Amino acid sequence: MTQDVLIEVRDLEVCFDIKTKKLFRTEVQQLRAVDGVSFDIRRGETVGLVGESGSGKTTVGRAILRAIDPTDGDVIFHSRKRDVDLAHADAKELRGMRKKMGMVMGEGAHSISDMAHDLLRAFRPRMSLVFQDPYSSLNPRMTVRDIIAEPLIAGGLMRDRDQIDQRVREIAARCKLNLEHLRRFPHAFSGGQRQRICIARALVTKPDFVVCDESVSALDVSIQAEIVNLLKDLQDEMGVAFLFIAHDLSVVAQISHRVAVMYVGKFVEYAPTDSLFFKPRHPYTKALLSAIPQADPDATFNPMRLEGEIPNPLAAPSGCRFHTRCPMAQDICKAKVPEWRELAPEHFVACHFADEAE
Amino acid sequence: MLKVENLSISFQTDEGMITPVQNVSFAVQAGRTLGIVGESGSGKSVSTKALMKLLPGNSRVSDEARMTYTDKAGREVRIDQLRPKGRDIRRLRGGEIGMIFQEPMASFSPVYTIGNQMIEAIRLHQKVTKKEARAQAIAMLDKVGISNPVGRVDQYPHEMSGGMRQRAMIALALAARPALLIADEPTTALDVTIQAQVLELMADLQRDLGMGMIFITHDLGVIAQVAQDVAVMYLGTIVESGPTADVIRNPRHPYTQGLLKAIPSLDALHDRLSPVPGDIPSPNERPTGCPFHTRCSQRLQGLCDQQLPPTVPLGPNRSVACWLETPEHRTGAEVDAQQQIKQQEPAQ
Repeated sequence: MTQDVLIEVRDLEVCFDIKTKKLFRTEVQQLRAVDGVSFDIRRGETVGLVGESGSGKTTVGRAILRAIDPTDGDVIFHSRKRDVDLAHADAKELRGMRKKMGMVMGEGAHSISDMAHDLLRAFRPRMSLVFQDPYSSLNPRMTVRDIIAEPLIAGGLMRDRDQIDQRVREIAARCKLNLEHLRRFPHAFSGGQRQRICIARALVTKPDFVVCDESVSALDVSIQAEIVNLLKDLQDEMGVAFLFIAHDLSVVAQISHRVAVMYVGKFVEYAPTDSLFFKPRHPYTKALLSAIPQADPDATFNPMRLEGEIPNPLAAPSGCRFHTRCPMAQDICKAKVPEWRELAPEHFVACHFADEAE
Repeated sequence: MLKVENLSISFQTDEGMITPVQNVSFAVQAGRTLGIVGESGSGKSVSTKALMKLLPGNSRVSDEARMTYTDKAGREVRIDQLRPKGRDIRRLRGGEIGMIFQEPMASFSPVYTIGNQMIEAIRLHQKVTKKEARAQAIAMLDKVGISNPVGRVDQYPHEMSGGMRQRAMIALALAARPALLIADEPTTALDVTIQAQVLELMADLQRDLGMGMIFITHDLGVIAQVAQDVAVMYLGTIVESGPTADVIRNPRHPYTQGLLKAIPSLDALHDRLSPVPGDIPSPNERPTGCPFHTRCSQRLQGLCDQQLPPTVPLGPNRSVACWLETPEHRTGAEVDAQQQIKQQEPAQ
């Protein structure tokens, strides 16, 4: 793993307007799904992002890809040539960039441009996305070959049929798909095979960065293991960086170099995998880890008791957002937002008592 | 309290007859939990739905199937002989055998309050007034750890969060005080911290009420924590069963071994995961012989792919369906191994 930063996220904020219709007026409330998140992702590394449902982890992934617009903050993509600020790129610039990046989603991504080849040479940063549900993310009316080829055509990267065919076959082989099956339609495949098609589609443009949003959560354990191994192999071969979003901590531990833990729109801890799993500093991380049931009859299962439920992000608690459920909460936790600090090399945590938490 | 023998279920589909469950036998004792574990399509949900007579119309339960349930009064009921819409099975459903489904949103009616639905279930099985039933419902919601049960009882399902809905679902299932609870993936859709709460709650309630429980899941970690006994299913057959600790420590069937190896563990962070090779065959392309032979690394050519392996008893309540464990083969393998050792010895 090289040390150079690929994506730099600075104070990212994403707000949604929630409109409630009252009798004579519409009430607008702001939901801060992501509230000031900063981290970086290096070339060829996997960053795991865990958190419970509603913590905003999917929104972080989407905002980095600019599939939704961040309200504030910067997402800087360090291409080999020049840095690009994704959060501030305007519509025209973004449209051009999406083509260059071969992004699978987005309104600007579907036109074929004559410029693409020139731009491609000048500019090679690319990113894409693998979704959770391999059943609903593949168009049932397209053949597997067309599905995998679509990002190439949509991004205007290739126009020659033979060239596209060659690239599709190359990536399909890497994803361990049977090349004879490329003419079939998605319904003929099992969940594991479909997820491999989704991965092939995400990687066909040879991106630098792929967001995997709960990509293995819907799969059975043995298939899950297969996909995790495949992602690792593809990373070694192609040097792609992954943002691996999941709620299953043991899978994240297996695949990630570094892991971030999110709680109600904020990062609470970000550290190298070993350090996070074996020396967690934040009480929320500890609670999550204690709640994983281990397939070992000798292991004692004694999950840390968290009072209540995840707070509603519309009315996020003051100070440290975890104070309502934290067993160690003091008065300062209610009053003051804990600072995001580096306790050990590369081990970031936001807790007033992280030093004592050991 | 419940004994199922030789249960086979087949479905008539457009592509012909498929048999998702074949010759399954298991038993549940009062106060104990039987875990059923298997991948999707292994027939674990279908076989428990047969217990409640909730299978769709195009299904057929084999004639030799025997499902015997001993009810609260100590009478034996042959579930397989009951009519699916008859009065007797309706008395069993809910009152004797409760069920929790995976998706709590789909199993509540969206147009009635939680309280109304619980009161209905309670009054169906007990002769109480509406007021008494409501008090029982509130007490049950309190028991499953829902804060402010007096207020929550008049809420609609959509007003609750996922974890709370699942707890309300458990409260609903327990409101009629069943003697046996079937929980079909009750925690799969929940976050880990909520899952831990629900598992703890179910264990507490089981201790208090002395229920028998069937816990269906694909997560061996959950099974290890909640179930005393486990049955591992693959393509509609039970390949291995026994006390949970024993099965997990010393798995004998190659499929159980593979499944355990495929689980990511925090103890082996940097090791490569070892998936069970190959895909689960589709139900209409059921392999002949042992259903697992297409993916098994230890298969015996000419035996495993032709003949169904017998169920070999390994001890009290412990059995495995694998040719490798049959006495003839085991002794054969041991003789081979001893010969190899003897051949090596003189060389040293």
